[in-house]
Amino acid sequence: MTETTVKATFDIYRFEPGRDAKPRYQRFVLDLPPHTPVLTALLKIRDGSDPSLTLRYSCRGAICGSCAMQINSKSRLACQTPIGPELERDGRIVIEPMRNQPVLRDLVVEQESFWRQYDKIEPHLILDPRKPMPEGRENPMTTQEVDRFKETPRCIACAACFSACPAVEADAGFPGPMALAKLYRFVVDPRDQGHQDRLVRIQTEGLWLCLRCHLCTEACPKDVRPSERIRDLKEMAIAAQGGTEHGSKHAIGFKDNIRERGLINESKLVRQTSGLLGLAGQATQGLRMIRKKPEILKSPHRIDGLDEVEKIYQALDDVPEGKS
Amino acid sequence: MDSLPRHPRAADPTRHALKDGSSDAREKMQKHDVVVVGAGLAGQRAALAAVEAGRDVALVSKVHPLRSHSGAAQGGINAAVGKDDSVDAHIYDTVKGSDYLGDQDAIEFFCQRAGPTVVEMEHFGTIFSRSPDGSLARRAFGGAGFPRTIYAADRTGLALLQGLWEHLGTSHYTLYEEWDLTNLVVRDGRVQGIIAFDRRRGDFAGIAARSVVLATGPFGRVYGRTTNAHSCTGDGVAAAYAVGAALKDMEFVQFHPTALMESAILITEGARGEGGFLKNGSGERFMGRYAPKVLELASRDVVSRAIATEVLEGRGFPDGSCHLELMHLGKEKIESRLQEICDVARNFAGIDPVVEAIPIAPAQHYMMGGIGTDIHGAASIPGLFAAGEAACVSIHSANRLGGNSLLETLVFGNEAGIAAAAYAASAPATTLTDADLETATSPLRTWSSRTEGEDPATLRTAMQETMDRYVGIYRNQADLVEGLRRIRAVKERFLKVRVVDQSKVYNVNLSDALEAGHMIQLAEIIILGAIARTESRGAHFRRDYPKRDDANWMKHTLATRGAEGPQLSYAPVAYTRWEPKERVY
Repeated sequence: MTETTVKATFDIYRFEPGRDAKPRYQRFVLDLPPHTPVLTALLKIRDGSDPSLTLRYSCRGAICGSCAMQINSKSRLACQTPIGPELERDGRIVIEPMRNQPVLRDLVVEQESFWRQYDKIEPHLILDPRKPMPEGRENPMTTQEVDRFKETPRCIACAACFSACPAVEADAGFPGPMALAKLYRFVVDPRDQGHQDRLVRIQTEGLWLCLRCHLCTEACPKDVRPSERIRDLKEMAIAAQGGTEHGSKHAIGFKDNIRERGLINESKLVRQTSGLLGLAGQATQGLRMIRKKPEILKSPHRIDGLDEVEKIYQALDDVPEGKS
Repeated sequence: MDSLPRHPRAADPTRHALKDGSSDAREKMQKHDVVVVGAGLAGQRAALAAVEAGRDVALVSKVHPLRSHSGAAQGGINAAVGKDDSVDAHIYDTVKGSDYLGDQDAIEFFCQRAGPTVVEMEHFGTIFSRSPDGSLARRAFGGAGFPRTIYAADRTGLALLQGLWEHLGTSHYTLYEEWDLTNLVVRDGRVQGIIAFDRRRGDFAGIAARSVVLATGPFGRVYGRTTNAHSCTGDGVAAAYAVGAALKDMEFVQFHPTALMESAILITEGARGEGGFLKNGSGERFMGRYAPKVLELASRDVVSRAIATEVLEGRGFPDGSCHLELMHLGKEKIESRLQEICDVARNFAGIDPVVEAIPIAPAQHYMMGGIGTDIHGAASIPGLFAAGEAACVSIHSANRLGGNSLLETLVFGNEAGIAAAAYAASAPATTLTDADLETATSPLRTWSSRTEGEDPATLRTAMQETMDRYVGIYRNQADLVEGLRRIRAVKERFLKVRVVDQSKVYNVNLSDALEAGHMIQLAEIIILGAIARTESRGAHFRRDYPKRDDANWMKHTLATRGAEGPQLSYAPVAYTRWEPKERVY
């Protein structure tokens, strides 16, 4: 595979807090075949030009999760990202540390908050002492039960999702996509006896802070699809507890609104989500909205073709749980 | 330059990552009952056992434990739990696989614990693949008489690593994350503790311990073409050798038959276990010439030599590869049971195994040799224990069977943890002094103060090229002697290694130098063992001595540090029930 090389321009973020006044970008230009992984290029730079370029890496085969970084502004594994398409699209490759985690040096970030969120979901089997494990043999598990884990066992904890997530950036209380996908993995585990408690607890511990932007799913190098697992958790949480939390009440209200009229009735939705007291709490914002858009006080009309909407709802009602 | 991105908060670089805050790593000297170095499967299992025995345990790792190389194991873990299978059959296959160099008492001990070990991991939460009846699914593997390899798709190592890490999270111990092992300290005839380099703080520190378990994994990076992670640099094995521990059977290096042609990333033996074919450049399924009965499922040394022979004799593809074909297995089977290697082939070779053959060639994969131990992990120095690929018990000896290494990490990790805890409970306290720290680290500090000298990467590359070229699948006297000459030259150059990075924070350049120094020493020992062993056995194949020589060489090689360099001696093989026979697959 000694095909032609391309001129690859790398602009690499360099920063050592406490020593450097501010970050800078250092340019390296290499001739490399287009299928070269970004990690290979970075290691060539380390070995050939600048051994002080600092990054984490280990397996170079997308299984250890060490080398996640921002590659042309996307959270990616460096080992699994070939340079060719990056150069074609952007003309150069800008390498930066992951986001939402403070920089230790260059491309190495402090991952403590990421690991803490993972620890907080209690990532271990919760057992009921009254139901001991079978003596001397495995717990039987059907293929269907194994399938319920979906892709979550593939997670390599690379934190690309955590880096890509705007909810993590906005709210330190949000567990982040990886931790929630991991929670899902325990909730669907037939050996785990803590399902109900886990679902009830997560409702007030960040589940509903997810913005449903799916950037985590786009960033995930292992196709774990964290945003879909978060959606699954929301459905399971409502099934377990009903609409008792802001987030779940909002989701239910949203669904009912659309079914009723095909449109959102904003004042009603706020009332459904937050209750009358909550509505009062948001009065200032409400008044601003009314001034700008007085028609929100009126109930919206029913849209044409509402019967088509109803058909969609009925079809969804018929889908068995877990198949959505 | 464009404006800067948003990385607003800089972490306090003096912060350290301790799992529980019971001690402060900013102190230069720490103290624990048991220190486990390496936090892959063997290290974690040892730590768990020592914690359960009531000891104060430190777990030291140069990477986050979930980033350990155990997670890269793909195919599975052996346990004779099938109705048709038996522990005796597993023992026999392992003895035969080792080309009769394995200690049979150790192999019996090992195989007897397979079933309970796998069940325990299932109880800890590991997600295994299942048969339709709900039991643990099993697949065929090379060198095994029955399908006895229990698996989790083709990410069994990752599944076990997650299961064990998550279970270990419920116990109380101290984690020293991103610390490189630099030295062991031995005084008064026993281990006193370790010296390590804390990457984040950029400084050296000591951890005193009544016992130390080394579970630092392999040293596959002595080769350039290896399936091993960059972290596999033999830090614990080199540190043990440096203080006089005996290393065992170091010349036995396993080359995995199927690694991607260009990147040497592993393609699991499970691919052949599920029915994959090996084909040469003319499309011929050639394994019939080498292993007429079991074809692609012969043991790894046999299959690797077969591929190398096809290529050497001009029957490979022009790029020097042979092909691994999976297409006939069908999309569904490939994508469900071999999901990771589908991604690996697609992302790292641009090959879709559902419709195309995968170009492969052998690559260094596993080190049968390591720190010599008994079945309880005890090395030749009191207070020192080892487990996993860093150790040599020996159960694999001349050739390891696929699916036995994951099992080894857990069985002997547990044993070493129990034994190290028991030793610590009865041994008096140890001390590390400032003088210990100074003695160990002053040579290392000179690396950074040099204004001239070679970068560790240059020396590492020279070592890797030498090992690839002269100490490969096929060996002979002239090549090995030339390899030794070159490695000794690299070793000489290493005395003037230079670390140019002057930073105190996360100085990977210094880690590079530590690792290169460890590997160069181990490379020399591998070659010395290979030159001395004038026979062919398992993975050690001498073209000038192509036959196994039981009369002279049915013995383990031991390497210890002498005044003039490594000294070789030999130890007998333990037999119980299995007479050596010619090994045919």
